[in-house]
Amino acid sequence: MRTARATYYLVLRALRESVRQPEVELPNLLIPLFFLAVIIGAINQIAPDAFGVTNYTGFQVPVAMTQAVAGVAAVSGIVIVMDIERGYFDKLLLTPAPRVALLLSRLLADAVRSMVISAVILPIGLAIGSPLETGVAGAVVLLLLMGAFGAAYSGIGMAISLRSGNPQAAQLGVLLFFPLLFLSPAFTPIDVFEPWMRAVAEVNPVTYLLGGMRSLILEGWDAADLAYAVAAVAGLGAVTATLAMLALRFRAR
Amino acid sequence: MKERGCAIAVIEAEGLVKEYERGVRALNGIDLSVEEGEIFGFLGQNGSGKSTTIRILTTLLAPTAGGGRIAGLDIRRDAGRVRERIGVALQEAGLDDLQTGAELLLLQGRLYGMGGAQVRRRVAELLELVDLAGDAERPIRTYSGGMKRRLDLASALIHAPSIVFLDEPTTGLDPIARDTIWRYIERLNQEDRVTFFLTTQYLEEADRLAHRIAILDAGEIVAEGSPAELKAEIGTDVVTVQVAAPEDARRAAEVARGLAGVADVRVTENSAAVYVADGGAAVARIVRLLDDAAAPFTSITLAQPTLDDVFLRATGHYLQVDDAGEERAD
Repeated sequence: MRTARATYYLVLRALRESVRQPEVELPNLLIPLFFLAVIIGAINQIAPDAFGVTNYTGFQVPVAMTQAVAGVAAVSGIVIVMDIERGYFDKLLLTPAPRVALLLSRLLADAVRSMVISAVILPIGLAIGSPLETGVAGAVVLLLLMGAFGAAYSGIGMAISLRSGNPQAAQLGVLLFFPLLFLSPAFTPIDVFEPWMRAVAEVNPVTYLLGGMRSLILEGWDAADLAYAVAAVAGLGAVTATLAMLALRFRAR
Repeated sequence: MKERGCAIAVIEAEGLVKEYERGVRALNGIDLSVEEGEIFGFLGQNGSGKSTTIRILTTLLAPTAGGGRIAGLDIRRDAGRVRERIGVALQEAGLDDLQTGAELLLLQGRLYGMGGAQVRRRVAELLELVDLAGDAERPIRTYSGGMKRRLDLASALIHAPSIVFLDEPTTGLDPIARDTIWRYIERLNQEDRVTFFLTTQYLEEADRLAHRIAILDAGEIVAEGSPAELKAEIGTDVVTVQVAAPEDARRAAEVARGLAGVADVRVTENSAAVYVADGGAAVARIVRLLDDAAAPFTSITLAQPTLDDVFLRATGHYLQVDDAGEERAD
């Protein structure tokens, strides 16, 4: 109860902070939209013949959403470093609020922020030609998946920030997403990958997340694809939340 | 001004040792006891271990050895309950610039488990106390340094703690803002019997506020007592010979040491402090001796011992404060 109460008020603080810094949130929206536009512009024409993707816009919308969410989630790590640097994190640690609430509140706030940014990108994707085979229910599942992925991914930035307390290191939370993205079937289906790349992509959680999202957008309800996506996000979340908890224990020792 | 009527120890430390990585020893066995209703001043130069002591006593940092109790609760085993009892304002006014003053205090109160009406009433009360009621809805980033310090103090008091730790509460503030903070501390101590443990780099602050002072040097307490006791322990007047160069200070000290009745001479970069009984008579003799020895000096002053002299006697150097509020040893 005490944890839930503290978490609730800290989530409100995190969301308020997000609303008051549109300049921090805007690039997380604009950059993925820019990449969405240029990648579609470059590859859309050849996609059907080259690798059998008939609606490349629909193929790319999940990439833009995932990229935006990773950007949003990485901001939390940077904010935590700022809190540490200005002494506010110590002030929070000095309250009797359960320390796990400091972490949980960030994860939940990132889930909400991730769903909001996804809710902006998805209609843009639909407006430029993406289908949504599973309709409104599919859109809700997409947003929930993105919320879960946001929470899971924010654990990485938080673990780095809490362990290092260093703003430069906190940026790694953003940069780490690029290898995860590029080593997944973000731009072409996995079938056309070289064997080594395919082997790497098959152990990359982003591969399964994109697979689940693409099935909702391009194909319809597919329980197996969705299950893989949920499992990938849950697995990622379990690892990152553990790392973040260990880092918090280090910081609050 | 500084009345005391206390008997129960509410802050205790026994053999506190803190070693950081690479073997840096910040605290070397600190023992202290602060009684209920007391204002305890902790004086020391930068790096002497003041903040480390506060961080340990407030449960932010684990000691390498030794321990402590706050209101009878062990700082290691009962850390959560200790945090419920204490208010803390650390050296950096730990504030979130994006919140307004009122929002920050409301959140702080809620994290202490205070309910809706109770926390709103307390926030209004504290904003009045620290003269920020008119600025409560402004973002903290628009506050001046003094306003931030006052808000930080208010946030430390949100749950009406009976024990408050303040780590250099007035560092970097102008004299008016400093005086305002001093008045809050005095008022809370006198009216609500709040116990204060405050570190400071301002001797004047310790002299005005503290019932008792401990001087910390290189992780050890080297002097402890009330300001009056510590000054009385010197037992002499202080004749300070100001000079232009360090070698002149050493020369002046050599000369002064030859004078009868000199209890001690301490040399700093630009002065020699001569501790001598009947300083009035000694001044003329010191001037004569310096002239005879052709030892150059720029001025000579006679004073009763101050905490500055106490600090110098205890540590071998003056405590100096630069414009940025950083301490440095002479």
